Amino acid sequence: MTAPARVLVVEDTPTQAQLARALLVGLGHEVELVESAGAALAAARDWRPDAILLDIELPDYNGFELMQRLHAEGIETSVIVVTANASINAAVEAMRAGAVDFIVKPYAKARLAVTLANALEKRALAVQLASVKARLDRDRFFGFIGGSAPMQAAYRTIESVAASKASVFITGESGTGKELAAEAVHRASPRAGRNFVALNCGAIPRDLLESEVFGHVRGAFTGASADREGAARLADGGTLFLDEIGEMPLEMQVKLLRFVQTGSYSPVGSSRVERVDVRFVCATNRDPMLEVQAGRFREDLYYRLYVVPVELPPLRARGEDVLMIARHFLTQFAREEKRGFQGYSAAAEQALAAYSWPGNVRQLQNVVRNIVVLHDGERVELDMIPRAVRRPAGDGEWVAMPAAAVVSAGAAPEAAAPSARVLRPAGEAGAGSGAISGASSGVSSGVSSGVSSGADGEGATAVVPLAVMERRLILAALRQTNQDVPRAAALLEINPSTVYRKLQSWRAGGLLPNG
Amino acid sequence: MGDLGFAAQLAEDLSAEDLRLVLTVFRTDVQRLSGALGEAARAADPAGFRRAAHGLAGAAGAVGAGLLEQACRRVMAQGGLAPDARMEEMLAEIEAVARDALGDLDAFLARHAALPPRGAAP
Repeated sequence: MTAPARVLVVEDTPTQAQLARALLVGLGHEVELVESAGAALAAARDWRPDAILLDIELPDYNGFELMQRLHAEGIETSVIVVTANASINAAVEAMRAGAVDFIVKPYAKARLAVTLANALEKRALAVQLASVKARLDRDRFFGFIGGSAPMQAAYRTIESVAASKASVFITGESGTGKELAAEAVHRASPRAGRNFVALNCGAIPRDLLESEVFGHVRGAFTGASADREGAARLADGGTLFLDEIGEMPLEMQVKLLRFVQTGSYSPVGSSRVERVDVRFVCATNRDPMLEVQAGRFREDLYYRLYVVPVELPPLRARGEDVLMIARHFLTQFAREEKRGFQGYSAAAEQALAAYSWPGNVRQLQNVVRNIVVLHDGERVELDMIPRAVRRPAGDGEWVAMPAAAVVSAGAAPEAAAPSARVLRPAGEAGAGSGAISGASSGVSSGVSSGVSSGADGEGATAVVPLAVMERRLILAALRQTNQDVPRAAALLEINPSTVYRKLQSWRAGGLLPNG
Repeated sequence: MGDLGFAAQLAEDLSAEDLRLVLTVFRTDVQRLSGALGEAARAADPAGFRRAAHGLAGAAGAVGAGLLEQACRRVMAQGGLAPDARMEEMLAEIEAVARDALGDLDAFLARHAALPPRGAAP
C-alpha cells in the first residue's frame, strides 16, 4: 500500500462517490467528496489534495474545464479521470487536458490502488524535479542574491555540508560574502536553533584574542574585573565562525588546534577545563595553503579546519548577478533614504555591468548607497555613478572609492564588528529575533588603535582643530574597516550617511582627491 | 443473480458495513433518479431526462448493474435526439430494468449476509 494521501473525489452521483470513498478509506487514504466542479476547485485550493478522482460530466462545468482551471491556478495535483467509456478517444482527451491517468467504471479496489499509486508516484517525481530545478535556478539563498553558475555551485556546497558537523573553510576575495556563507551554513544546519558567533581574528588585538575565544576569569589580567564568557561558550551547540583566520597569531593557533581536536579549553586565568560542542567555520581572503607554506599558518590546524572548502567567486565572475544585486540595493537604500529611485537607465546598467568591482559586493553596495544618498529621481543615470566606476573595464582601482565617498549601511557582507558578533536564534530570551550583538568590549579598542596608529602620522593626543580630528577619525575608521562605511560608522557610533556626507564635502572642498 | 457479478467483487473489496451503505445509496439513487426521469418525461424536458438518465447510468455502472446502465445510456442517446418522442416508453423500460436490478441486489445481499464474515474461521 502506498503512503496515505489526500484524495478529492469529484462525483455528482452519490453511489459512485460513496463507493470511491469506501475503497479509498480502505486503502488508507484521506478522502473528501464534492459534487461539482466549482466545489472541487475550492477544495483543491484549500485542502491541497495529492490526487483528484474526477468524473467528467458535472452539474456546473465539466472535468476538462476544471483541469484547465486547476492548471491556471498553479494547483499541482494528480488527476485521475473516471470514465464509463473505455475508448482511446476518452483517454487521450483526458490526458491532453492534464490527467495523469484514467480509470473505467466499474473499477475494483485493486485497480484503483494501482492507478492511484502510479499517479501519486508521478506526482512525487514531478515535485522532486521541480525542487531540483528550483535549487538549480534559484537566485536567492539565505542572505545571498545571485543566480550565476559559480554561486549555484557555492549554494550547493553549503547546502550539502550544512547537515554535518564537518568544518567548513570559506575562501574568497574581500567583499564576496564570506560571513554570509558562514551564516548560511549555520542557518541551513540542525544547529540553526543555537547561536552563530562570528569572531574577526584580524580585528582583535593579539593579546585579547585568547580571551575573546575562550573567555577569562576575574583577575586574569589587568582590567579583567569579572568573569567573562568567550565565543567558544557562546557558540556551544551552535557555530563558531572565525573570520580572517589567517591573521591569528601562531601561539593562538596552537590553542585553537587543541580546542578543535578535543572540544575543550580553559578560560584565560583558569585551570578549569570546559567542554563545548561547536561547529567550526573559518574564512580567509588569502590562499590558506600558501599561508601554510610561508609558515604563517600551522599545517596541522589547516588540515583540521580545511575539511570542506567553499570558494566564493569574485563579483566580476558572476555575470548578471551584478545588476541583480545593484537593483536589490537600490530598492533597499531608496526606501531607507526616502528617495524615489525605481531603477537604472540602460547606460547606468551598462556601466555597472562593465566595471570589474575589485571590492566585490561590498563595493557595489557602497556605490549604490553613494548614489542614493547624493541624488534623487526615478532612474539612476550614468552621471550619478561615481567616476571611478564609469572607467572602462579592467581599470578597477578600488583605492579611488573611499575618496569618492564610499558609503553603505546595514547588511554588508562580512560586516563583522571587530570582535565577536552573536546571531541568536529567534525567540531566545534577552535577544530579539535573529538579534546581533557585540559580545565584547573590543569595539572601542578597535577604533582607538586604528586612530592612534593611523597613517596621518600624528598621535591621537595632539591638539588639532576639531574638524581635522573628525576627518582623521573617520578616515582612520575607514582604513581600518577596508573602506566599509557601515562598519566604520558603527565603530564611530554615527550614521553611515553622516560619513558619506562628510566625505562628499571634503572632496568638494579639495580636502580629498576626486574619484 | 442477474448481471450483478460486480457486486460480488464489491463484497470482496468492502467491509460488510460499507457494502450495505453503498447498496443503500444505490437504492436511493435509483428511486430519486427514476422519479426525476418521470418528472422530465411528463414535462417533455429532454435535457432533464438525459441528465437523470446519465446519473442513473453512473450509479448503475458503479455497482456493476450493467443492464440498467446500458438501458440508461440508450436513453441518453435517443432522448437527446428526439425530445418529444418515446420518453414515457423509455421511462417504463428503465423502471422495469431498475426493478430487476434492485431485486437482484436484495437477493445478493440476503445471500451475502448468510455467508460467514470475511476472515472468520470456517
